[in-house]
Amino acid sequence: MDMLSAAAFSLTEMFRSADLTWPTALYLLGGVGETVLLVMGGMALGLLLGTVMASVQVYGPAWAGRLVGLYVWFFRGVPILVLMFLFFFGLSTQLEAAVFAVFGVRATVSEFACAVVVLGLCSTAYQSQIFRGAMQSIPAGQFKAALALGLSPAGAVRGVILPQALRISIPAWSNEYSIMLKDSAIAYVIGVSEVMSRFKAVASTNHKTLLMYILAGVVYYVLTAAGVRLLLKLYETVRIPGLADMDASQ
Amino acid sequence: MFKKLPVLFALLMLLSVPALAQDKVFVNGIDANFPPFAYIGPDGKATGFDVDAMNWIAKEMGFKVEHKPMEWSGIVASLKARKIDMISSGLSKTEERATQIDFSAPYWTIKQVVVVAKDSTLTADQALKSGLRVGVQSGTSDAKTMADVNGQEGREYELVEYPSSALAAQDVLNGRIDAAVMNDAPAAAAAAKIDVKIVGEAGLPNEVFAIGVAKDDPETLKLVNEGLAKIMADPYWQELIEKYQPGQVQ
Repeated sequence: MDMLSAAAFSLTEMFRSADLTWPTALYLLGGVGETVLLVMGGMALGLLLGTVMASVQVYGPAWAGRLVGLYVWFFRGVPILVLMFLFFFGLSTQLEAAVFAVFGVRATVSEFACAVVVLGLCSTAYQSQIFRGAMQSIPAGQFKAALALGLSPAGAVRGVILPQALRISIPAWSNEYSIMLKDSAIAYVIGVSEVMSRFKAVASTNHKTLLMYILAGVVYYVLTAAGVRLLLKLYETVRIPGLADMDASQ
Repeated sequence: MFKKLPVLFALLMLLSVPALAQDKVFVNGIDANFPPFAYIGPDGKATGFDVDAMNWIAKEMGFKVEHKPMEWSGIVASLKARKIDMISSGLSKTEERATQIDFSAPYWTIKQVVVVAKDSTLTADQALKSGLRVGVQSGTSDAKTMADVNGQEGREYELVEYPSSALAAQDVLNGRIDAAVMNDAPAAAAAAKIDVKIVGEAGLPNEVFAIGVAKDDPETLKLVNEGLAKIMADPYWQELIEKYQPGQVQ
């Protein structure tokens, strides 16, 4: 009991000496909302484009597969930081100028939109490879049988292959989620007010850098652990027993 | 589940679409790591000498202003790309910047000072002439000036760049650098919080702060200049100086 109250006391002391008032704490936690939205947007974009690209690579013509390979090679090779700057300061201004020239409307691409697009495009590269592996682990006969039954290739992929492939991929996808969560911190360089940038701003005022960045780490850890746990729970629910598992720990 | 995906995606894209133009809200880009000119206050909102002054100017001149924390090293680029409408955040007026953006009338003079650890015996002169490691904030005018004059008039140091002056001060304490050069205002703010001290001026020319506005934006420049003239003639200016004590009275 004594140790507990001593720990609680020193924790509150630490918080107080760091000028961590309730409004400041709320400001810091508000960054979680931005981070979660970033990750959701990026994962959604990656899921959409990743499944399309994986299907093209596995079932499409060879030249299309090569194009996808080129995309994957590029977005896996260039650091996300470089891409953020490229999109935000370079491409988005070109886009805005083009929109102005064509429609006469001054639109602005928000840094949030830019970050989601960059995170999404990068994640697409990795997710496409996850889905590709899952699709290739499904016996080839299934696709042929679907075609023989009269389904179009796209219909076969959507109705027969994807339901299985997506289920198999969930463990690997949860890994991609945790990577994306960490990569979302890079969005601070283009000014997205997410967790990292908010903790940094408060740290510049109270100068308690060690405490602030440890707390930031805790926030990210909680987000990662909670998300992965939820995804693995989903996996347990929708899993098809007996089908090739990408998660070797079965 | 897939049927909901396009809807979800469309929703996410909608979040990024710029709001329909109602009353124009001017966006002031700030560096939230620059006390006492611009930082995140204990109420979790942007505050500081420049932020409060701009709020007063906005009310007086009849426009709405929103303060947007961003990375300092990209802030001029953001202004040029019209992602923000002005920079009122301890922006030094330099010749190089004047070729890229327009400036309001100057409103503050700033000195560059040398910060060392409290128990250090270095003088300002020694810190800059002994081949030591000296930290600066990247993207600032002092960073550029320090890089330019290195080697002249006996000056000899190894320049190390940091994302903010606060971090540079922190690293002086950590011992990774021997001294840091920064504006006197954040130096005073750091010296009040951690065990560093100001040992003297860095021997660099004094600089002036002015509000940055994009070139070919005469309306904003006019608004800003008029507002600035009004506030500097108002007793509120003295109130702000007393409240934030920006290290030096004009």
